[in-house]
Amino acid sequence: MTKTTRRTVLAGAAAATLPFGALPFNAIGQGAHDLKGTTVVFASWGGAYQEAEKAAYCEPFAKATGATVVQDGPMNVAKFRAMAGSGTPDWDVVDVTGGFLEVAAKDGLLEKIDPKLVHLDRIDPRFVHEYGVGCIVWSYNLGFSTTAFHNGTPKVWADLFDLQKFPGKRTLLDQPVASLEVALLADGVAPDKLYPLDADRAFKKLDGIKKQTVFWSTNSQSQQLFVDREVVAGIILNGRVYDAAQKGAKIDLSWEQNIQAVDYLVVPKGSRNRDAAMRLIDTMTVAENQTKVANMIAYSPTNLAGLKGIDPKIEPWLCTTPENLKKGFVMSQAYWRDNLAKLTERWTAWKLA
Amino acid sequence: MKSIDSRIWLVLPAVLVLAVAFLGPVGWLLARAFTFPEPGLQNFAAIWERPVYLKVLGNTLLISAVVTPIVVLLAFPVAHLMAHGSARLRRWLIFLVLVPFWTSLLVRAFATAILLQRHGVVNSLLVALGLVDEPLPLLYNFVGLLAGCVQVLLPFVIFPLYSSMVRIDPAFMKAAATLGASPVRAFVRVYLPLTLPGLMTGGILVFISTLGYYVIPALLGGPRQQMISQMIQDQIATFGNWGMAGALSLVLLAATGGMLLLLQLTVGLKEVAR
Repeated sequence: MTKTTRRTVLAGAAAATLPFGALPFNAIGQGAHDLKGTTVVFASWGGAYQEAEKAAYCEPFAKATGATVVQDGPMNVAKFRAMAGSGTPDWDVVDVTGGFLEVAAKDGLLEKIDPKLVHLDRIDPRFVHEYGVGCIVWSYNLGFSTTAFHNGTPKVWADLFDLQKFPGKRTLLDQPVASLEVALLADGVAPDKLYPLDADRAFKKLDGIKKQTVFWSTNSQSQQLFVDREVVAGIILNGRVYDAAQKGAKIDLSWEQNIQAVDYLVVPKGSRNRDAAMRLIDTMTVAENQTKVANMIAYSPTNLAGLKGIDPKIEPWLCTTPENLKKGFVMSQAYWRDNLAKLTERWTAWKLA
Repeated sequence: MKSIDSRIWLVLPAVLVLAVAFLGPVGWLLARAFTFPEPGLQNFAAIWERPVYLKVLGNTLLISAVVTPIVVLLAFPVAHLMAHGSARLRRWLIFLVLVPFWTSLLVRAFATAILLQRHGVVNSLLVALGLVDEPLPLLYNFVGLLAGCVQVLLPFVIFPLYSSMVRIDPAFMKAAATLGASPVRAFVRVYLPLTLPGLMTGGILVFISTLGYYVIPALLGGPRQQMISQMIQDQIATFGNWGMAGALSLVLLAATGGMLLLLQLTVGLKEVAR
């Protein structure tokens, strides 16, 4: 499995003679086989995404360090909480959403990221957190059917609320996250004035399209709604539009006012392989590895140097190209950490009303 | 004094499994209702104070109350044909009822969605036949939820009903006719009461199963068909609020218990267990 080259032998020798802490930073990245016998458990969201992470992060890490990486998942908030709460989690590195990162950090479920073991300087500072390192950026976009409209296509969120110009069923997430932001943007609030959200105003705006809305709760459902022509426009993730379009669906997206969110790699509190886990996260920060993920499934690198090697066919689908980045903004996960419970209750009540 | 049946030891494994895999965790969750995040009744106070919880609970009970009679009405003729038809017909019917029973709930929910969607089989057919001009809204609303629940729950009524019906001696109906009862009267006074045990068992199974439904309302229902299990799931998976989840579960359990009590008072559970 591990190919022995002159470099790995030398690095291995260096690892054998030096205490680990004394190893220079770059030696770690270059394949000191000092983790032989260590097993790191990596948990993510399964499917094509985890396959990409496995190929881009886990395999190079295993090759370089001699560690064994076991794949597990899917990531599940209840499971994560139970594990971290027990003090001896089965998972060492977990891919979580930005929203959960904030909550878990507040609840003391995460290990602090060790800047001595992770090259945080490689990552765009907006995607670095005390308790997690951003690995991909994705965005909520205005997706639309390319065959449903005859007078142009919807461009901005206000168009989603314009039932005259763009008639037909809409789709929103079955949660206040992103839906409220979209409503306020449509109502003319500037992205930098969004938080704290004016919930009253947002729900009032949403009232206007409620009867025409189908709510989705899983990403695959959002995709299916477009494929089945059940809806003509709505909120959907950029990667999902890419996937649906690849599979022949008549769907496109607008980048105007895209709302960006980040997935992070974290280490659950009490991980028995904390240092090895940090070093797996470090492997993720390498530009080429991130490029590989992006080319496999169209999620953006957080190391902006990773944008260089992107397949030109994939590039227009990424939310972190300079152009698309300018059109969008990053969702405030801190706001949602503090307000999700309250606003979810209100969301449910609004749906029932 | 009667000595204890020595076969009682044979149930021990089942009881152990239930205790470890069911009573323990469920008890733990329900206890959290009173202890998480701190000891007290704050979770119940929250449910009481914030109208959305009681509204969803009411919604859940209402949906179950609508689903149950529909399932029973649809199941009755099937069970009847199964019990009194030819052996060949019975085998076919049992097979047809069992096939979907073996299929995963999720698969069936998605299949139902495919049938009912705007450009789905049902709507395309209706439009092609000229019965409607516009596709009917059959999905992501009460109709979709109903279609999903009813088709999934039918076997739960068909089989208990069938087992009640096969035990009815056909001579009873003849006797009633001989004594001057019209077919309707014979059915209402003789046949129907004899099917009651199966009817009640099936009805209760359907009602209680529907109360706890999660996948079907999430996939086929609309915004107004939110059910209590979805809220319990949210509390655990999104908010990590075991206390609220426990409290909601306890309220659901109490509602279910209340229904059973009502049944005991009106019909009598002995009737059902027979």
